[in-house]
Amino acid sequence: MRKTLLALAAVAGLLFATAAPANAYEPVNIVHTEHVQAGPYGMTVGFSTWPLKAMQSLDFTFIPDGGIDDKSGTLTMINPEGGKNRTQPLVRHPRKREVWGLDVRSMPRPGEWTFHFTVNGPAGSGTGDLRALPVLDQPGPPMGLSWAISTLPLIGLVVLVVVAWRRTRSRLRGGELPAIG
Amino acid sequence: MDLTASGVRTTSVAKQARTGLLPANVVLGGSLLSLVGLTWDIQWHSDVGPDTFFTLPHLFLYAGSAVVGLASLAVVLLTTAARRAGRPVDPRIGGRVVNVFGRTFAAPLGYLVSGVGAATFLLYGLWDQWWHGLYGFDAVIDSPPHIGLLLSITVSLIGTTAVFAAAREYRWGRLGTLASLTVLLTFGPVLALGLQQVPDDYADAVSIGCSMMAVLLVTVGAGFRRRPGGAAGTAALVLVVQGIFWWFSPWAAKAYADLVDLPLRDAISGVPEMPSLTPLALLPVAALMELGYLAGRRRGWRAGRVSVVAGGIAGALLGLSLPIQRVLLYTGAHLPPAWYLTTTAVLSGLFGLLGGFAGWRFGGMLCLLAPAKKGETADA
Repeated sequence: MRKTLLALAAVAGLLFATAAPANAYEPVNIVHTEHVQAGPYGMTVGFSTWPLKAMQSLDFTFIPDGGIDDKSGTLTMINPEGGKNRTQPLVRHPRKREVWGLDVRSMPRPGEWTFHFTVNGPAGSGTGDLRALPVLDQPGPPMGLSWAISTLPLIGLVVLVVVAWRRTRSRLRGGELPAIG
Repeated sequence: MDLTASGVRTTSVAKQARTGLLPANVVLGGSLLSLVGLTWDIQWHSDVGPDTFFTLPHLFLYAGSAVVGLASLAVVLLTTAARRAGRPVDPRIGGRVVNVFGRTFAAPLGYLVSGVGAATFLLYGLWDQWWHGLYGFDAVIDSPPHIGLLLSITVSLIGTTAVFAAAREYRWGRLGTLASLTVLLTFGPVLALGLQQVPDDYADAVSIGCSMMAVLLVTVGAGFRRRPGGAAGTAALVLVVQGIFWWFSPWAAKAYADLVDLPLRDAISGVPEMPSLTPLALLPVAALMELGYLAGRRRGWRAGRVSVVAGGIAGALLGLSLPIQRVLLYTGAHLPPAWYLTTTAVLSGLFGLLGGFAGWRFGGMLCLLAPAKKGETADA
């Protein structure tokens, strides 16, 4: 028994030991930038992956000229069909705290997206758009196939329920089962 | 020493009760580990963010399924060994025995289902890992592999419910069944998030899915217990779990962020993510269903039919409550227009009729997992 417990403790220790390096999160590495003018404020939009592909996650950074300290702002993403996501405040990137950003965020579908910015600061309020941001088709298998693979347990469950339903039909019909306890 | 026949049988039944209790609770414990891991993981993604495969919440999720899988496997192997040795198999331990791969293995139905769910969870874990290799760790809950993982946990939990239902004669069996339904009901809304893939231009598919699942499972509780309190009892247990997770989820995300030295995001809602998906109106709605069952009982109506009507009303109420709940909890969330709320409530009501019908029947099916007569053996 003691040996088993020791072995279990060793396995748990190893897990935590190997988990520790994994917890050292990747730095934000910007490989492409675009420039947007939001009223009086110039802003650099950075991407950790380029070109963008649908559903593939990346880090976005938003850096207004002169830094974020005396400014606030919002971001609205507009999809290729013109639908708007909920407007969100521009907040510090969790792993690059000196700039605004979105961490490990993907664009859900391909097409030309628009980022609409408002920026408030010492020079007043300004708005600007990053238009026609190209998002390419998703990599990997078609979504239909992926969903078919992932819903197999549901199909198994339906089969189980149908079989159980048929087998218990005669025993459940008519007579009420007794309550126990 | 009492060596009379009745004395011997009492000892034997007490021993069987204990034999079944241990693996059943290990399986339920595994499910709870997974549930804790899930609520923690979802909160982590919302409040902190960065993800790798080796996070503590993931460890809980995978350990939970491993515990369920190993315990189920152990029971199946012991049952197979017992049958080969010609010993009678007690159907109170996991239900009737099913042959697997011809007569190679003898598996009690409940443990077979929970074990298969745990095994597919690990397979979908590999699929999820490959997916993250391709797309990166963007934490969307409704990706195909995530839904595959959640469906596998659901299968496991249905097996766990069956395991306890087979021991319906014992108090732990009855309580464990309601507890397993509670875990299923707490999982349910996360699974319903998969319905975000369904177009929601005319009604809120996620709210409809959540309310249908809640009605179904609360009715299973009523149909299993077959006396007052099954529906309200399940809903009350859900409320307790919801209350604990309401405190636990944000606390655990913050504690873990401190541990690995990561800051919380600047803009967090402060609302516990997973607990706020469960309908807060569940207990009063379940109490209303109980009134329906009571009224039906007094008038001599068939409980199965009362259940359909009660399910429909409950579904409509829950479907209406969920969009309102979101507006109450999240600042900046807007109440949808009245026509949208109406279509959501009507569709939830229609699915609720189905939930009330099927739930009662499933409750009955769970009852049949327990042996009809004392001394019955488990081979089908």
